[in-house]
Amino acid sequence: MTRTVWLASYPKSGNTWFRLLLANLGRDTPADINAIPLHATMASGRHRFDAATLFPSGLLTHEECARLRPRVHAALAEADDEPADLAGIRFAKTHDAWTYTPGGAPLLGGRAGADAAILIVRDPRAVVPSLASHFGITSDVAIDFLGNPQAYFCGERDRQQPQLRQWLRGWSEFHRGWLGQRELPVHLVRYEALAADAATTLAEALAFLGVAVDPADCARAARFADFGELRRQERKGGFREAPRRHAVAFFRDGTPDGWRTVLDTVQLRRIETDHAAMMERLGYPPAALERKRLAG
Amino acid sequence: MYGYCVSGLSVASDLPLAGLIATAARRTSDIVIAAAALPDALDAPEATGPTWQLAGDRFLIEVPGVVRMLLTGGRRLDYSIAPGANAEDVAIFLSGTGFGILLHQRQRVVLHASAVRVGTGAVLFCGPSGAGKSTLAAALGDAGYPLVTDDFCGITLRDERPWVEPDARQHKLWRNAIEGLSLGERRDAAVRSSLEKYYVEPRAASLVPLPLTAVYVLREARPPLTPGIDRPNIADAALLVRQNAYRPALVVRMRQRQLYFEAAASIVRSSGVFTLARRLDFAAMDEVIGWLEAHWAGIGLLERAA
Repeated sequence: MTRTVWLASYPKSGNTWFRLLLANLGRDTPADINAIPLHATMASGRHRFDAATLFPSGLLTHEECARLRPRVHAALAEADDEPADLAGIRFAKTHDAWTYTPGGAPLLGGRAGADAAILIVRDPRAVVPSLASHFGITSDVAIDFLGNPQAYFCGERDRQQPQLRQWLRGWSEFHRGWLGQRELPVHLVRYEALAADAATTLAEALAFLGVAVDPADCARAARFADFGELRRQERKGGFREAPRRHAVAFFRDGTPDGWRTVLDTVQLRRIETDHAAMMERLGYPPAALERKRLAG
Repeated sequence: MYGYCVSGLSVASDLPLAGLIATAARRTSDIVIAAAALPDALDAPEATGPTWQLAGDRFLIEVPGVVRMLLTGGRRLDYSIAPGANAEDVAIFLSGTGFGILLHQRQRVVLHASAVRVGTGAVLFCGPSGAGKSTLAAALGDAGYPLVTDDFCGITLRDERPWVEPDARQHKLWRNAIEGLSLGERRDAAVRSSLEKYYVEPRAASLVPLPLTAVYVLREARPPLTPGIDRPNIADAALLVRQNAYRPALVVRMRQRQLYFEAAASIVRSSGVFTLARRLDFAAMDEVIGWLEAHWAGIGLLERAA
């Protein structure tokens, strides 16, 4: 029986990078960033939902889709017609916050929808410029988005997006939900740890899932999915998950503290005020006060 | 009773079905649609999904909060409207999902495609929901190519050649597509009262079966795909056709792989199968229609412009 494991993250927190690390396990050459099945198992993917229910989700309201999702995720977890990605595990990406339907069922199906979750977190001060670049918005608008409890992806009502609506809540609530739920065991992966030592961080995540891997294999996967290699591939052949509307790279910087030169003190203070408790809990100490002191 | 013609079949329904071509109601019809009390579950189902059960020639499916349907032997569609649901919201599920399953039960080949008439044949645009089938068919309709089907497309084989059965339905388009294509004047009712998706009257519709002359599988032009029309090899072309079955899960569950295998082979033999990659942008639509017309001239579906 294939196990389902959520790769959960707030957007722009390293989810794609982590999936590329997984895709490079057991390989002799770097995986083509455009040839790995990155979208096949997205929790919010419309195509899988429609294939399971046999009617078009596009004829349902967002609210009706959400009410049905626990059932659909449970059925998809049971399905045996999709191949496992690694060691009997099917990884499925999600940016959905951990929420419940009006009937009280966990949106992602609770234990029936998956066996475990890897939660990838990143300093919100780094998420802001990354999100701003990806969507072609200002850092201030991105800060609003991280602080908005009603933030959605694909929430439009006048068109059909390839994905179902995803309720992200705000950055803090997203993590509070995933860390606070009691249905699934969760392993926390910090983006900053991936940047410092991807091989060890990957091995620890796999150990949490009970998957034994050769450290040399993890080290090789880390080299193959190194930011320089990902950037090189994107420059050469593009990346299918890069923004559509404006020409910016998906793999931009990757350094954990690039935000220090991008955000001004007012913006830093806004982020740190909005998310103080969760930043402290996840190990991201405030910098706005420190910078003000240095400037003064 | 209301009478309709769907994929060449006569239909009698006790509920008006917007978007279908109306005919006089007949005493005997290929398919009868009627309200009925339905069982909660089927006895001894051989396959089940999150919203459906299959047992022999019976198929029970629920759209929660809207309608339940029991489809029997490709002949009957019994439905039960959910308590509190709006009866006007039900029709789109009967005429889409319900018919798709009925056609599967009748061992008919159904593709997830919209089609327009080009010259003397039908050209299909395949792809999953959201691929842009209906939008492209509507844009082509405005460029003078009559609508043949929208969203699903029944194929019949005559002398081993594939033919497309017309549904002469209306277009079904989201508000942003209606605005993007400036079709507001022909906008009709919403497909469901709670959705910003509307029936749109086609400029012209084709009412007779047509030989299938070309199939385009729609793709979004994102790396590594570059914009344009390509011709896959024969094996890939047949696979693409099968992947675009209206409900691939039903092909498997109803043991119709061989049927679709043969249909795909026939389509590949007698029609062109192509991929069409383009930006999903209304501003690019005229350019895409230009590519298609040049392509149709090149493969002999259209007279070359003098």
